[in-house]
Amino acid sequence: MSATATRTTVRPPLAAEHRRGDPARDFPLTLRGVSKRWSKKQAPVLDEVELTLDLGTSTWIGGRNGTGKTTLLRIAAGLIEPDRGRAAVWGYTPRENRGRYQRLVSFLPAGDRGLYARLTVRRQLGFWARIALIPGSEIDARVEAALDAFAMGELADRRVDRMSMGQRQRLRIAMTFMTEPEVVLLDEPLTSLDADGAEILDRAIDGLLARHGVLLWCSPSGEELAREFDARWLLERGRLVAP
Amino acid sequence: MSGPRASARAFLAVLRRDLSVYLSYRFRLASQLLTAVFSLTLFYYVSRLVHVSGFPSPESYFAFVVVGIALVSVLYSCFSVAELVRQELVAGTFERLMLSPFGPVRSLVAMSLFPLLYSFVLAALTLGIGWALFGLQLHWSTVPLSVPAMGLALLAFIPFGLIFAALTISTKQGSVGTSWVIALISIVGGLYFPVSLLPGWAQTAAELQPFTPATEVLRHLLVNSPQETTIATALAKLTGFAAVLLPLSLFGLQRAIRFGQRRGTIIEY
Repeated sequence: MSATATRTTVRPPLAAEHRRGDPARDFPLTLRGVSKRWSKKQAPVLDEVELTLDLGTSTWIGGRNGTGKTTLLRIAAGLIEPDRGRAAVWGYTPRENRGRYQRLVSFLPAGDRGLYARLTVRRQLGFWARIALIPGSEIDARVEAALDAFAMGELADRRVDRMSMGQRQRLRIAMTFMTEPEVVLLDEPLTSLDADGAEILDRAIDGLLARHGVLLWCSPSGEELAREFDARWLLERGRLVAP
Repeated sequence: MSGPRASARAFLAVLRRDLSVYLSYRFRLASQLLTAVFSLTLFYYVSRLVHVSGFPSPESYFAFVVVGIALVSVLYSCFSVAELVRQELVAGTFERLMLSPFGPVRSLVAMSLFPLLYSFVLAALTLGIGWALFGLQLHWSTVPLSVPAMGLALLAFIPFGLIFAALTISTKQGSVGTSWVIALISIVGGLYFPVSLLPGWAQTAAELQPFTPATEVLRHLLVNSPQETTIATALAKLTGFAAVLLPLSLFGLQRAIRFGQRRGTIIEY
């Protein structure tokens, strides 16, 4: 099963630079024959998964708990390696082009982890901007823009361990988008978000798609999603199937 | 976008982060200084109670051991990066480092700097307390030279932390072995007594790690202790250890990360 999401025909200059007339390298995100097995005695959690996402498209992948959605996202993010197959962004792989790959991709893991409890929101964003190797002249502006876009101005000087779960999730989402990635991978992003938070997330995604970025959203089947996606898939027995 | 300046900023960001987290615990420095005062008090009276062969006076042994006590904090800080990795894995922040363009290897090297720099400050304060409260005779003319010597020692010490960080990443148990390794090094490194008092096999072990030459050099520069080897030899040993161990530890760290990525357990603890 080869899953493809295609919508846009307009290509921005940045994306056009990536295109090299090579089908294997001409898409923002491709997963080719991705397989992963946690134990030889168990069935593979991912079995020859094929997925291609084109410019400016959003894709949802659902499935029951434990079907491999998070594993798929972790492989797409370059966090773990598949047993077979590969993930690529514009043909760049996390193994061969780690730095470039991580500049193009941003991943929001599920849960509420990944924050330094004793740092303030502003410090957290500043730290992330710096290890994302954002140019020094842009860092302050990016931090302020993130505080503004994700309605965290009043929380800027508050330590993370003194924030609610929903506020923390908003911060995690801000960190995901503040580097202006081309590919955004979201794992259960609505966790702990209130209606305002969900609306802010929606706006961030609209902004991503408007600049021809790519969205891959994973969440369990049954979760109510107000958002329209260009493609929807279910992950069942290690493969992507139409819902 | 990712030139040396951006990497330097990321390095400093890690240092600043660690400083911010440290400063959020208000009583840590006071607590550690109290520990130093009690240790110095203990050895001050031990030096007066027991005649130690090879030392002409109680003051000379006290000066010898104060430098050792100051370096114990440096020794502990070398291995603390393994514990820091464990904390990052538990908090899920290691995942952020993995996903950053700065990357996990450079992040871990940067993470090892704050504990070492902090331990240097703590070591200086310990010496200052020894001088102010217990009459420690510092050899002021060569004290400034201890700073570059410490810098060289740092390059030789960092690999130990990185190796244990690699063990933590690959086995999730790396920090478990640090306590006995620290105890062993504090014996064979000559922190509390001269290496020459040890049996032959232990003296051989003393030659196999950089803490012994670092302690010798710093003792000579700080309190003018007599040398068992020349300064030049000790500095050459430190340079050699740094030149061999740094690339090896970085290679080991890269392999451990790759191993975790293949197994899919890189961010688990």
